[in-house]
Amino acid sequence: MSHSEVALGGQHAGHHVPIMEPSPFAVPAKKLAMWLFIISDIMTFAACLVAYGFLRNSTANWPRPFQTSTIVSVLIMTFILVTSALIMALAVRAARAGDRAAAFRLSMITLVAGLVFTLLHIREWFGMIGQGVTFFKNPWGTGLFGGAYFSVTGMELLHVIAGLIALLIIAMGYKSGRYSAVDLENIGLFWQFINIVWMFVVPLIYFMNMAS
Amino acid sequence: MTIVEEQDGLGKYIVVYIVMLVITGIELLIASRHPSGGALLASMLIPAFLGAILGILYFMHLASENHKSIVAFTIFTVFVLAATTYGWSDSFRLLLGAPFAK
Repeated sequence: MSHSEVALGGQHAGHHVPIMEPSPFAVPAKKLAMWLFIISDIMTFAACLVAYGFLRNSTANWPRPFQTSTIVSVLIMTFILVTSALIMALAVRAARAGDRAAAFRLSMITLVAGLVFTLLHIREWFGMIGQGVTFFKNPWGTGLFGGAYFSVTGMELLHVIAGLIALLIIAMGYKSGRYSAVDLENIGLFWQFINIVWMFVVPLIYFMNMAS
Repeated sequence: MTIVEEQDGLGKYIVVYIVMLVITGIELLIASRHPSGGALLASMLIPAFLGAILGILYFMHLASENHKSIVAFTIFTVFVLAATTYGWSDSFRLLLGAPFAK
């Protein structure tokens, strides 16, 4: 097919020939791209968590500093994040059904929940810093603990903040008609991914290092 | 273009939500008993993977996607995740202080 035929939409001798072949996975291109991004991000988090596990396993005096107050705070954060994931799933469900107002409202509730999670997370960090934990030292044992703790939870926090900014932009755009339901679904996928990562961060970082 | 789809039931979302919260509770319960290293790791990872699979299938709607995409994403991801644990055994060597192999 010549370039001019492509430009005309692939019409040749009365037959309509599609310009592009259909997606092999039968999903919109944007959504496929988001899945591929999430897969690559899974690798990033997996590398971080495996490196953390490696360090923890190979270090005899690994600190177990998390007291009941921290664990309660983490449980509240988990409840908020899992609830926000449910609300985001419902927002995507509403968007798929064409209910723009409900999808926007639910997205905003997700946003508020995410903000509360972020504030609690930062408060948790300040608590740790107040106890003398830095990237290279802490009062309890090997200095590697601080680096591992701040790296893994920092990656999670970075994703949450990025997700919140993206969610705000896309939800506002979705409300005004600039973005489609697929766009909202894409940011929904990312938000669910953040929740799933947290499902690993909590047991591996916090529960495994609970004070006796 | 807006594609309007039929809404699926709320039930599955609520079930997945409750299971995710219960999983966190179970993990906390197990961790508070302070089992030994390997048992602790397994008892944290297995429920976490269960929660992740539920989240991916139902909150991320992969269960309702094309089966080709499920198979492709799963094989690719699981293979790389498995590959990341390649050097795991070396952490035991470091812990025990064993020398490098000659």
